[in-house]
Amino acid sequence: MSGCILRARAVVKRVPTSEGDLTILDGIDLAVDTGAQVAVVGESGSGKTTLLSILAGLDLPTGGDVWLDGEEITALDEEQRARVRARSVGFVFQSFQLIDSLTALENVMLPLELHGRRQAREDALGFMERVGLSARTTHYPLQLSGGEQQRVAIARAFASGPKVLFADEPTGNLDTATGGKIADLLFELNREAGTTLMLVTHDAALARRCAEVIALDAGRMLAPREAAP
Amino acid sequence: MSLSLALRLALRDWRAGELRLLLAALLLAVGAVTAVSLFVDRLQRALVAESAALLGADRVIDASRPVPQRFRDLAADRGLVLADVIRFPSMASSEATGRSQLASVKAVTPGYPLRGTLRVAGEPFTRGRRTDGLPAPGEVWLDSRLFPALDVKVGDTVSVGYADFTVTAVLASEPDRGGGFMGFAPRLLMRAEDIAATRVIQPGSRIRYRLLLAGGGDALRSLHDAIRDELAPGYRWRDVRAANARIDSALERAESFLLLGGLLTVLLAGVAVALSARRYARRHYDHVAVLKTLGATPAEVQWGYTLVLLIIGVAGALAGLVLGAVAHFGIIAALRGFLPMSLPPPGAQPVWVGLLTGFICVLAFGLPPLLRLRGVSPMRVIRRDLAPATASAWTYGCAAAGGLGLLVWYSGDATLTGWALAGAAVTVSVFAGLALILLRGGRALGMQAGSVWRLALAGLHRRHRENVGQIVVFGVAVMLLLIMVLVRTALVDEWQSRIPVRAPNQFVMNVAPAEVGPVETLLKARTGYDGRMFPMIRGRITEVNGIGAAQWQRQRRQRAEETDDERDGPGGRGRPGILRERNLTFLADLPDHNVVVDGDWWAAGAAPSASLEEEYAAALGLALGDSLTFDVGGLPFTAKVTNTRRVAWDSLQPNFFIILSPGALDGQPATYMTSFHLPSERKAFLNELLSRHPTVSVIDVDQIITHLRRIITHVAQAVELVLALVLCAGLLVLIASIQSSRDQRLKELALLRALGGTRRLITGALVAEFAALGAFAGVVAVIGAEITTFTLNRFVFELPASLHPQIWLAGPLFGILMVSAVGYLGTRRLVRTPPATALREL
Repeated sequence: MSGCILRARAVVKRVPTSEGDLTILDGIDLAVDTGAQVAVVGESGSGKTTLLSILAGLDLPTGGDVWLDGEEITALDEEQRARVRARSVGFVFQSFQLIDSLTALENVMLPLELHGRRQAREDALGFMERVGLSARTTHYPLQLSGGEQQRVAIARAFASGPKVLFADEPTGNLDTATGGKIADLLFELNREAGTTLMLVTHDAALARRCAEVIALDAGRMLAPREAAP
Repeated sequence: MSLSLALRLALRDWRAGELRLLLAALLLAVGAVTAVSLFVDRLQRALVAESAALLGADRVIDASRPVPQRFRDLAADRGLVLADVIRFPSMASSEATGRSQLASVKAVTPGYPLRGTLRVAGEPFTRGRRTDGLPAPGEVWLDSRLFPALDVKVGDTVSVGYADFTVTAVLASEPDRGGGFMGFAPRLLMRAEDIAATRVIQPGSRIRYRLLLAGGGDALRSLHDAIRDELAPGYRWRDVRAANARIDSALERAESFLLLGGLLTVLLAGVAVALSARRYARRHYDHVAVLKTLGATPAEVQWGYTLVLLIIGVAGALAGLVLGAVAHFGIIAALRGFLPMSLPPPGAQPVWVGLLTGFICVLAFGLPPLLRLRGVSPMRVIRRDLAPATASAWTYGCAAAGGLGLLVWYSGDATLTGWALAGAAVTVSVFAGLALILLRGGRALGMQAGSVWRLALAGLHRRHRENVGQIVVFGVAVMLLLIMVLVRTALVDEWQSRIPVRAPNQFVMNVAPAEVGPVETLLKARTGYDGRMFPMIRGRITEVNGIGAAQWQRQRRQRAEETDDERDGPGGRGRPGILRERNLTFLADLPDHNVVVDGDWWAAGAAPSASLEEEYAAALGLALGDSLTFDVGGLPFTAKVTNTRRVAWDSLQPNFFIILSPGALDGQPATYMTSFHLPSERKAFLNELLSRHPTVSVIDVDQIITHLRRIITHVAQAVELVLALVLCAGLLVLIASIQSSRDQRLKELALLRALGGTRRLITGALVAEFAALGAFAGVVAVIGAEITTFTLNRFVFELPASLHPQIWLAGPLFGILMVSAVGYLGTRRLVRTPPATALREL
């Protein structure tokens, strides 16, 4: 597995405020190889999450371009970006982002159903089992603990077989012990599936488990040596 | 997104309770409209049938010469049922007693009457029983009045012209008697085939020929279209409406009212659909953002949720139809005692009305909020404050056009809809301004209030944008209810006041001057009579301002191309001809039910003066100051027009086109007339009256009055029913509106509870907040209701407009009660939810 699956060139993000434009990202260049595990670290407000949303095609930069799985997603419209996401991307969020009105199993089934997969239910059950929640398939998110909710979110993220998994502070809402287990699960599944992992965190221990670390400070990338702990 | 996925999403949303309110709103919209349409459809058919009884048929072709065979053939081709009625005046006499009396002969063919029934009795002046039969050839049935006049009884022989007939029954009532004074003379009913034997029909005889028609509306319309050009000028096509102007106006207003009620139900249910769709959409912003991160495209989201809405639409419309059908059976069962004998089955129209209402409601009111989901940014999974852009103007334009189209189509009356909507538009904008002012004032007050109210009013102010919206919605709901109550009251009062309980139902005419005293005494003793005797002289106008009347009329006609079309409607109204002989009276005082509209009533001892009914004066081109010369019994005299009057023709009192000042007709041979009320069960008194005063004529209009009153009662009940439906729709809007702010409230309440607010404080603050909302809504509703009722009464129902102080306090009170009750019930669970659970749900 080699080759570049994700590349950003001179990515700039500015947002207008009442006191003029605020620069959130300032000239980000990066390239991520297929199968790599990359952690993006930095303090609150350094632009980590914004970078992740731009790389995943959820948001558009003010300048620069991004290539994801062979497509220049910065040149696509929302409709086309959605197709790229459907094909290539999975997400795990800090706040889990499960749909409250659906059971745990239905949450996992959702991406499979969107892909029109016939075996959605069976496949989703397999992933529920894989994250250790086969006994809780009919539970609603509000009936699950935080750790369990994040397991469901991880099952959902891997269910559609993404090429790149974006994780935004996946352990941020969990206690240390639970967070550790969730991180283990995430890395384990990632290894099995050979997925490229792009992880945003300010947890140094979690970042250390990734082969590469990108450090952000006030919207700029620090050189690798500066980022080293 | 595929249909099966949309179906699964819809099912899951349904299970999670997300769709219940939307479905309930749809169910009510379709159910209410279907129930109203079904009921109105059947009631209208029944009312028309009942009114048709006054005509004796569904339609009548009326002429002064025989109705051509061609008309009969065309009618028969269309499957219509026919019967003939030939009416003419003739002397009836009894050889045995030597008495004779002018009778109004009615000769009929089998099948008569096609609508309504005849009643016959064995004794004169009794109520009698219904019959489907007719006198056999060689037999006649006589009006009660003919028995004393001819001094005969059932079984005796009477003659008409050259033929003798056996009297086999008393004709107690006939459906198409009509209220006109043309039917002055008492009735004699015989078979048409006996006319020849009487030999009374000669060239030049005054005969009316009527062809009665009964059958389906389409067949009747088709016949009318086929012969329309051949009707004028010799034949007149009469329908139920022409048969009685009073029923006409009552029916028309009732229809307007029912439509208005249905219209408001649709409008309110539409608002409820819009509110619940909006809530559904808001609760799905996160849902859609997740779907989008999972790769759902905007187009898939749009079609997916449109499909979900359509699924709900189909389910809601079908369930609504069932609900509507059940509700309408319930209504009919509840009103069984009052409704006409049996309601005809409904047409297919109401079902289509219900179904289409459902779909248009869904598309016009429900779709625009859901279309916003397309624009939800997937970034919302990271930044929850990202709300989608508001839907484009054309989305709301389409929604407005759809809604408007629905209303116009449903009411079938662009004017009524226009007025209702213009009222609504003005009201909503005024309401919004007013609501803001009230909220500001409320906040200032709240600063000095106790903690419950302070909390409540601060809450109101915090969400002031939503609250302005809610006040407007509540206000509109309460306003619509007030409007319905006010208009209904005005309508029903007006109808009932037209026919007071003791309305005169007997007219006494031909009272000789010497008999005035004895007749009055007799009436007072037996009937509690407190009326007035009007002198009456037949006379005609011969000159106007020195110009011959015939020439005056020609000049008028050349100018206005008017036709002298005598209508024998109630009270003998119609377009008057100046040459016609009229009943003149002379009075010192203005009679009741008359109002001088121009000029002054005369003082005692004034020069000979004339007072004219305003429409009569206008039709003849007569004005104040004109000098009229009359010919009464060959003697001319002249009077000047000094005033014109408006006459309440439906007062059932003797009314006159021309009243002269006392002295003008001195020395002329006057007779007197009056009217009085006689309870139906005491009809036998007429026998006594006529025996003691054989030259007096009595005209019995009791049957017509009873009929009118029955129709009005039914219509009033239908109107009340519609009011109840509007109330249901209004409640649903309240619930939907309160539900739409539920999520935000949940958040606030959880925080308050977590910060130590007691359940009591929070419940108090909630109820106080809703009460304040209700009060504000009540105030704006009263203002809106006054304006709209004024407009509706003035321009649509043509009723007198006035202010209604009784609602000024009742409106806000009603608002407080309704909104705080519904609000409390809707949010009670929120208060009971433990704060930890509530906070987790956020």
